[in-house]
Amino acid sequence: MSNPYQDGRGNKDRSITNPAGQGSEMPRSKSGKVTAAGDSTAFLIGEAMTGGYGKGPDILHACTIAVERGEIAVIVGPNGAGKSTAMKAVFGMLNVRSGRVLLDGEDITALTPQDRVVKGMGFVPQTSNIFTSMTVEENLEMGAFIRRDDFRDTMAQVYDLFPILKEKRNQAAGELSGGQRQQVAVGRALMTKPKVLMLDEPTAGVSPIVMDELFDRIIEVARTGIPILMVEQNARQALEIADKAYVLVQGRNAHTGTGKELLADPEVRRSFLGG
Amino acid sequence: MDFINAFVVLANFVIVPGLAYGAQLALGALGVTLIYGILRFSNFAHGDTMAFGTAITIIGTNALLALGITFGPLPTALLALPFGIAITCLLLLGTDWAVYKFYRTKKAAPVILVIVSMGVMFVMNGIVRFIIGVNDINFADGERFVVTARGFREATGLAEGLAIRTTQVITVVVALIAMALLFWFLNKTRTGKSMRAFSDNEDLALLSGINPDRVVMVTWMIVAALATTAGVLYGLDKSFKAFTYFQLLLPIFAAAIVGGLGNPLGAIAGGFVIAFSEVTVTYAWRRVVSYLLPEDMAPDGLLQLMSTDYKFAVSFAILIIVLLFKPTGLFKGQSV
Repeated sequence: MSNPYQDGRGNKDRSITNPAGQGSEMPRSKSGKVTAAGDSTAFLIGEAMTGGYGKGPDILHACTIAVERGEIAVIVGPNGAGKSTAMKAVFGMLNVRSGRVLLDGEDITALTPQDRVVKGMGFVPQTSNIFTSMTVEENLEMGAFIRRDDFRDTMAQVYDLFPILKEKRNQAAGELSGGQRQQVAVGRALMTKPKVLMLDEPTAGVSPIVMDELFDRIIEVARTGIPILMVEQNARQALEIADKAYVLVQGRNAHTGTGKELLADPEVRRSFLGG
Repeated sequence: MDFINAFVVLANFVIVPGLAYGAQLALGALGVTLIYGILRFSNFAHGDTMAFGTAITIIGTNALLALGITFGPLPTALLALPFGIAITCLLLLGTDWAVYKFYRTKKAAPVILVIVSMGVMFVMNGIVRFIIGVNDINFADGERFVVTARGFREATGLAEGLAIRTTQVITVVVALIAMALLFWFLNKTRTGKSMRAFSDNEDLALLSGINPDRVVMVTWMIVAALATTAGVLYGLDKSFKAFTYFQLLLPIFAAAIVGGLGNPLGAIAGGFVIAFSEVTVTYAWRRVVSYLLPEDMAPDGLLQLMSTDYKFAVSFAILIIVLLFKPTGLFKGQSV
């Protein structure tokens, strides 16, 4: 183990230790400066990012991912291609050794994830993306934690978007089904009124019917004008709704194009979509 | 057969002392369970934190008495309590800054923090003995009784007396207020909710813009208040001795685990379960039983299950039984 302090030496005694919900190591030091970058074209772009977790080896190699205003961009690729890693790099959760991240014409490469939230980025992680012991409503309130103004109308919008959440507002989020939990997770991220929403495999582990419903909801969110960057396992469905799509292989951009182009690309079909 | 006298004896020697002791344990267990839930380790220094807070409060009490200030019929220590809490706050925040923060930023495994807290315990142990010494100190003043045994006998005409000490009433009342405040804080306020969110899922709390340093700071402050209050109430009810407070660690941990670690409601229930078990198992039941049985069946022995010297064995036994049969505790806490 690289960090000797994280070695519990096999201790699993929960009567003295409580590993549940412990955070992971994240770059938490002070944010650097935000500089203007006039040359960017896309609303959010991770440009030629190279980097990996902690002091470990590079996972991304000159990877570029961008999303335009009002569009849905998806990242697809085989297992271990670095899809989630690319997303985390854009969000500042790993060390980007070269390359930069631009949001709305500003260079935010030096910002911590928390400061990126303040800047208007909403992020829904793949796992543990809700507060299981808190009610649905409290989850949404925590999503709006950085807001000091009245967020009741945002909450009403979220309830309009996900009516099932309104029904279950006073229920603990951990008691909900997989699809409902994902709705809570997306709703929580929407509470900050983000300028861009990033979803890491929102349909992981839900049944096909629920998956279709979730995709519909995501399209609805996109229609409200929020650009969406999302990582997806279900490449075919994701490419169908994507305005822009990136196929990553081993941390590099392999194919880039509109969703339809990639669906039609024989090489993409052969390698990722099963013919 | 004399149910009323039997009940009065029972109330005098079991129910009233058990309630007071339970409230003290509950306050202590609340502090332990908060640290366990939010900072994710069992704080072995909790007993000595209580001792430190009480020691400072005693010094404050003495200063107030020297100035001629008393709290009328109530113990002067209650006036000095805020002072004790404030100094204990500083001690805990200082300890966190000097010791725990280093391990937290390294994301150390919780078991390492447990051992670290043990080191802190020894240091605090020493500090308390330096400040106030090792002797028994009685610092309760003001009116001693709310109801005296003789007054009760004269008023009711019963053979048995019921004495309720001021400190016992104060203990229960203060504990209730503290618990109500804590629950209101955790469930209704923004900061309280952010603490629960941090306890639930640290990474997501961070992504929601919750400042972890602030959560940790508020947690230590609340723990300082709870620990000092618990320590002072225990000291008023019995007496203060540094070593006794160190020993309190076991029933307090037992209470927190029995109730369900990380669950504040459980900590309170656990406190009373442990307190009443200790009191009932070590109580000599002869007088209660002799009132209930016909005269010729009156028992010869004391009917005491265990000598009071063994009261810690009761906490241990309950702890083991709960861990064997209901590892999540009576209330749904973290699985142990």
